[in-house]
Amino acid sequence: MIIKHAEKIASAKVIKDSFEKLGYICSDDIAMAVYLACQLQKPILIEGPPGVGKTELAKKTAEYLGTQLIRMQCYEGLDESKALYEWKYGKQLLYTQLLKDQMGDVLRGAQGLDESVSRLHQFGDIFYSEEFLEARPLLQALREKDGAILLIDEIDKSDQEFEAFLLELLSDYQVSIPEIGTIKATSKPVVMLTSNNTRELGDALKRRCLHLYIPFPDPKLEQKIIAVQVPELGEELRGDLVRFVNELRGLALKKVPAVSETIDWARALLLLNVHSLDHDWIKSTLNILLKFQDDIEAVEPELHQLIQKMKR
Amino acid sequence: MQKVLGDFIHALRHDGLPISPSETLDALNAAALIGLQNPHVLKAALATTLAKNVAHQTQLSILFDEFFSRHSFAETNELQPDNNENIKTDNGIENSAESEPKTDATPEPNNGTTAQSPLAQQLLNNEKDALQIAINAAAEQAGASQMQIFTQQPVVSMRIMKALGDSQLNQELSELIKDDKNHVLVEELRKKQQLLRQQVKGYVEQQYLLYSKNNGLQLREEHLQKIKLSNIDFSQYQLMLNLVKQAAKKLASLHSRRRKISKRGTLDVRKTIAANAAFDGFLFHTKWKSSRIERPKVFVLCDVSGSVSRTARFLLLFLYSLQDVLPKVRSFVFASDLAEVTDSFRKLDLESAITEIMNTRANMSTDYGHALQDFNELALQDIDNKTTVIMLGDARNNYGDGNTDVWKQVYQRSKRVLWLNPEGHYSWDTGDSIMSEYSPYCSRVEHCSSLRDLTRILGSLLKNS
Repeated sequence: MIIKHAEKIASAKVIKDSFEKLGYICSDDIAMAVYLACQLQKPILIEGPPGVGKTELAKKTAEYLGTQLIRMQCYEGLDESKALYEWKYGKQLLYTQLLKDQMGDVLRGAQGLDESVSRLHQFGDIFYSEEFLEARPLLQALREKDGAILLIDEIDKSDQEFEAFLLELLSDYQVSIPEIGTIKATSKPVVMLTSNNTRELGDALKRRCLHLYIPFPDPKLEQKIIAVQVPELGEELRGDLVRFVNELRGLALKKVPAVSETIDWARALLLLNVHSLDHDWIKSTLNILLKFQDDIEAVEPELHQLIQKMKR
Repeated sequence: MQKVLGDFIHALRHDGLPISPSETLDALNAAALIGLQNPHVLKAALATTLAKNVAHQTQLSILFDEFFSRHSFAETNELQPDNNENIKTDNGIENSAESEPKTDATPEPNNGTTAQSPLAQQLLNNEKDALQIAINAAAEQAGASQMQIFTQQPVVSMRIMKALGDSQLNQELSELIKDDKNHVLVEELRKKQQLLRQQVKGYVEQQYLLYSKNNGLQLREEHLQKIKLSNIDFSQYQLMLNLVKQAAKKLASLHSRRRKISKRGTLDVRKTIAANAAFDGFLFHTKWKSSRIERPKVFVLCDVSGSVSRTARFLLLFLYSLQDVLPKVRSFVFASDLAEVTDSFRKLDLESAITEIMNTRANMSTDYGHALQDFNELALQDIDNKTTVIMLGDARNNYGDGNTDVWKQVYQRSKRVLWLNPEGHYSWDTGDSIMSEYSPYCSRVEHCSSLRDLTRILGSLLKNS
């Protein structure tokens, strides 16, 4: 990828600091992975629990590098025609109808079937040319002249076949279209794949990618994140809130609250004009943090203990 | 640098990380890019390029500290990890480093006689680097990186000492000691020799840990695959757990993919028009939309009664892992009453799930008749012609009624019925075993007593489905 300002990716530290300015607080590991991905031109596979900012990382990288973000959401049953390219069938059909009359002119004076056919051959594959090609995300990313950030979101939701199909793209930055040939990237995109680990990805895919695991942030980092995202929130409340969420993560829940939920909660508390966290407020806003009724019911009896731990 | 990183990657592979040549290249590129000045940065870069899941990352982190604590001294001067606190205290290198001031403090013997042998010279001159290099070279010769079991360590240490010229030193010492004047010199040489021995011992130990520790593990794993499930004791449980997980994952990744694309479903208008554009819009060829995803649907019944209690744990283990990887597995356990445990497997982690089941259901007397009756009420109506039913049990029914009618129905409704018996063929139908009553209504009856049997049978089962 042509990066317009080489100094932007001069070192992991530069990336980390700049991300911070953009409002994305990241750890050293994250900055290092982004740095290596840009420098080595390798795709990067991002794993971690939901809501720790995997997709956000791709968005911020695009914003930082000043390139376009091309996002492809994966799901079961996703195939080439939705991910890579498709022919514009409607246009092809319309053009054949419109050009029908022209055919007479082209073929006028031709003697015998052979000559007619050879005259037709002179026109080449008009209907299977670039004009009739509908580029889907993957192809778009390859054709982008200034490079792009290609975000392949939740790759674990797609089928194994699709994963195998991606291999050519990830290692050589090229794809094969039978009617046209091989299309190589004009400028290699930075590829980011995210996974929630609903299934184990293939070794072949992992081998081609750098690997980054984003865990839940430690309390210090999380406080920093909240401070940037919800600056209006008081410092004491922020500390309490992060400690409480951290305690929650230690419980055996169906879905533990992620960073995005902490942010939502902080915003909600701000809106409700809460100044200090007490039992009632927590109880009435618990549904922002926990997304299952089972979890809420499991936590409610423990609230007193949790609050004590939080205040400590 | 290449050699050091190459060695490190070699050690990683020994530790069980599957690192391919292309990843090695990535790691080298990354290291070249960021330099070797800062060990934390280097570790992060290596973790990004070499370790592809969380467990591997932890392994890499531990090994990195172990490995570069050694290298920092002799081989790579450009690399100075500041994480030396990770060096073990019984590590020879550190010992020698620690005791450095002590030996320096002893006054130099200047009574005219000096030691002649090269090793003694090196020791007296404190040529630490030269000695470390010599140790490295001698260790290579002595096969330090090819040790198989830990008892080889003393032999290798001895070989290294010999290669360093220890015997000459000993000879010289015995000559020097004849003269009382050399008392101080002999004392000092002895002390330094002892230190060197410790250093070599520590080095060999480290080599063993880095390169060979897991060979023994591999041997044990191979052995565990073949051993009878009932003979495995609790100490090997953790190891077995990993093996079972691997086996289940392998099976699932081989077979859980989509089987066929069926031609039924709704018309795909786009594709149909596209395909028929050549025929002037007359629709000769129809294209259909749906692709049916077919994955095996499996019901597993597992006997956890007293007679099979030793194998039951492992069968449950396998069952749990299987449910983790295959989407449509329903699990049932029984002794006399049968219960579905699909949900508790899904909710609880492995340890607690198995413990709970073993505590509440296991070790009671078997009643296949009653269990099958329960199964009839619970799940028989869900069995269809795509279902595979697997029974894990020894068919020892305490001379009760086997209720074979239910099993017959199961057989008729399902696609296939598989009975896996942990007992050998010759024990079937002896005593209270009623295997022959059930076997007519099974597509296959197999003897299954080891993990290898289990994977083989289930592999062929999934392949044919």
